[in-house]
Amino acid sequence: MSIPLVDLLGLSGGLFALGIFGIITRRNFILLLISVEIVMNAAILNFLAFAYYPPAPGLGGVTGQSVAVVLVGLAATEVAVGLAIVLALNRLRGTINVAEAIQLKL
Amino acid sequence: MRDLHLRLPQGVPVLGGREVNAETFAFLVVGAGTFVSGAFAITSREIVHTIIYIGAFFAGLATIYFLLQAPFLGLLQLAVYAGAVTILLMFAVMVLRKRIFAREARTALSALPILLALLLGLVLVDLALRAPTYLPGPAYGVGTLSQNLFLVNGGWLLLLGLVMLSALTGGVYLARETRSSSLAREARG
Amino acid sequence: MTGIPPMAYLPEGFVLASTLLVFLADALGAQRRRVFGGISTLLLLGAFLLVLADLRVYPLAALATLPASLVGGPASGPIVFTSLGLIFQGLFLGVALLVALGSLSEGELDPGAAIFYGLLGLATLGMLLVAISADLIFLLLSIEVSTLSTYVLVGYVRRDSRGLEASMKFYIIGALSTAISFFGASLLYGAYGTTSLAAFAFPPAGGLGNLALVGFGLLMVGLGFKLTLVPFHMWAVDVYDGASPPVSALLSAGSKKMGLFAFFAVFIAVVHVFNATEGYALLVALGGLAVVTMTVGNLQALQQHNMKRLLAYSSISQAGYLLLGIAVATPAALSGATLLAVAHVLMKGGAFLVVGAATAAGVGVTIEEYRGLGRRLPVTALSFAILLLSLAGIPLTLGFVGKFYVFGAAVEAGGWFIFLAVAGLLNSALSVFYYGRILRIMYMADAPGEGPEPTREAPPTLGISSTRGVANAPPPRGGVLRAEIRTIGVARWGVILGCAVLTIAFGIYPTPLIHAFNAAAEQFLRLGY
Repeated sequence: MSIPLVDLLGLSGGLFALGIFGIITRRNFILLLISVEIVMNAAILNFLAFAYYPPAPGLGGVTGQSVAVVLVGLAATEVAVGLAIVLALNRLRGTINVAEAIQLKL
Repeated sequence: MRDLHLRLPQGVPVLGGREVNAETFAFLVVGAGTFVSGAFAITSREIVHTIIYIGAFFAGLATIYFLLQAPFLGLLQLAVYAGAVTILLMFAVMVLRKRIFAREARTALSALPILLALLLGLVLVDLALRAPTYLPGPAYGVGTLSQNLFLVNGGWLLLLGLVMLSALTGGVYLARETRSSSLAREARG
Repeated sequence: MTGIPPMAYLPEGFVLASTLLVFLADALGAQRRRVFGGISTLLLLGAFLLVLADLRVYPLAALATLPASLVGGPASGPIVFTSLGLIFQGLFLGVALLVALGSLSEGELDPGAAIFYGLLGLATLGMLLVAISADLIFLLLSIEVSTLSTYVLVGYVRRDSRGLEASMKFYIIGALSTAISFFGASLLYGAYGTTSLAAFAFPPAGGLGNLALVGFGLLMVGLGFKLTLVPFHMWAVDVYDGASPPVSALLSAGSKKMGLFAFFAVFIAVVHVFNATEGYALLVALGGLAVVTMTVGNLQALQQHNMKRLLAYSSISQAGYLLLGIAVATPAALSGATLLAVAHVLMKGGAFLVVGAATAAGVGVTIEEYRGLGRRLPVTALSFAILLLSLAGIPLTLGFVGKFYVFGAAVEAGGWFIFLAVAGLLNSALSVFYYGRILRIMYMADAPGEGPEPTREAPPTLGISSTRGVANAPPPRGGVLRAEIRTIGVARWGVILGCAVLTIAFGIYPTPLIHAFNAAAEQFLRLGY
């Protein structure tokens, strides 16, 4: 018997909730970035869990691993762009706190 | 397997007296550790601690990927996330350097977001409990994976290339020093 | 991807070529913004004409690169060509052209920053690929290509911290919505065992389980951010406000249509499955989201004093009308939503460019400062008036025709959809108030200088030759006109006028559009993606 699917999905669900919690509560850009990454990793874990337990017979499972490879690349790329934006903003303003950036009123 | 279950140390949560083998036991430990380090990363007050915790989080996930018989993904996770992204974040913190958490260290956690996240988590865990029962598939070698990735789903990689092109040029453009921005920095002192 | 001749990708190739050209030139140090802007505008125009040719539009049909047998055929790999997809490709390229031309007249960009056109090309390319995707992962990745470019475009004027701030907010929300979408996609993969969109048209083996339901729900949230549905809309106002007007036009007219097409591709086929099974809750959620979106958008727009924020909220309420078409999901509703999408591109694209033009003419950000614009920029103001009337849904405009078809389809579908149509009608009536207020200020109110809030500076030639303030009679005097064109730039002037003319022309004679869209919608529904 191997790792049950329930546990895998439970962990990814927990990570998803954790990431959303971070998004709601924190206002620091780096922490927001990390929260988004946690959500993204929950998605990757899900794809791998379903690659391990393929819903379709045959080679259906390997598709999940392919998606996971692409997602790892995508997420890393996103982090790079986010940091470029925050560096440019920091150069102008000296803050990376989203709540402090109040020129645009909500 | 029965006796492994009996030999489990005290305090390790074993849900509903299931049979637990070495793999599952390892998963439970690593999974719990991953979740906890993720939670610490988000709630930590020191940015450096956050980065260390998130590094541990990524490494924990990589371990889980190895357990899921996806060694290539495990290595990728270690190299890209635990390695590159963590170091990138560390560099960003070093460049930004100052008082990142100054304002936020005092924020108390209010009840509403916690409730909301708990609710969301419960829904998803409930979803997991009702998940259909699938049988484990075969382990895929790197050969099978790359055939699927490059031949069947080659379009995804093409798009990933476009994403990276956009990120590269955009990132370089934004980070490139302009005359006006260096002036602004001088004015700020 | 076998079976499709390489020539079929020629429009995408043109757009990619314009992007690479600009990037390469920038890397080599050539930074003539206008030159590269002109070149990429021409390439975008070429791609636009090719898409029209592939749609077999009469005089261009001979240029078609896509065999007619492939349009509406089965998907090969992650790509499928449908008539509706091609129509949306045309729409996206139209937006890109509009933005490219409009920003050619924009003087405030950083000098030597030709990369704008490269990023614009990439954003357009992502949209084009969304319109031909037959695979959920391919679709989400294409959205990502487009979104990642728009993050940078929003923060494009680097010395303006407002733009960068908007870019930061946009980035966080965009990355979050991407992550949520992929999480939903992973659940769908778990339920269906495949990521092909065609498979979603049939319930999975064990019936539409909870995995699929939650997956679709999360996908609705993730894509809802892109389509600015309430309650996932808060970012849009800040971002449209902080970005430069051409980029706001791209986001409102282009990116939002991309979200709409993604909704079409994912949900249209599923709605039937929902109808038959326990997925009914999601259908009600779609309808509810539509009503809430249009109502909240309109109510918020009523309270705005800032022109760009008002347009942003009105854009949000329009997203509600568009979503209505998806909830109803009959061929007529789909075709009506497409018609409304065309109208929305013209109206919102034109309106944001008018804001850019007004800024160039020294008009500030509040609505009050548009006082007397009818005399200072006669043609622009008249075009703006037409676009606003169309947004409000006044007859003889394309906006009216689009709403008429969407609401008509809802009534025709019967049942609780009638309530949706009634909500839409009430909202349209509500929106007349704030559009009317802008019209009144532009035409009825005093000239600048006499009002309580004088504008900052008017170019010297303007305002001198103002005639008596008559509402709908802009002075056709050459002097004013020439000064107007000089102030706001000939390309932008032409685009604004073109938007208004097309809105009226198609509003009076929409028959060819309706025929084409009906056929495309039926084909799309038959195929299931």
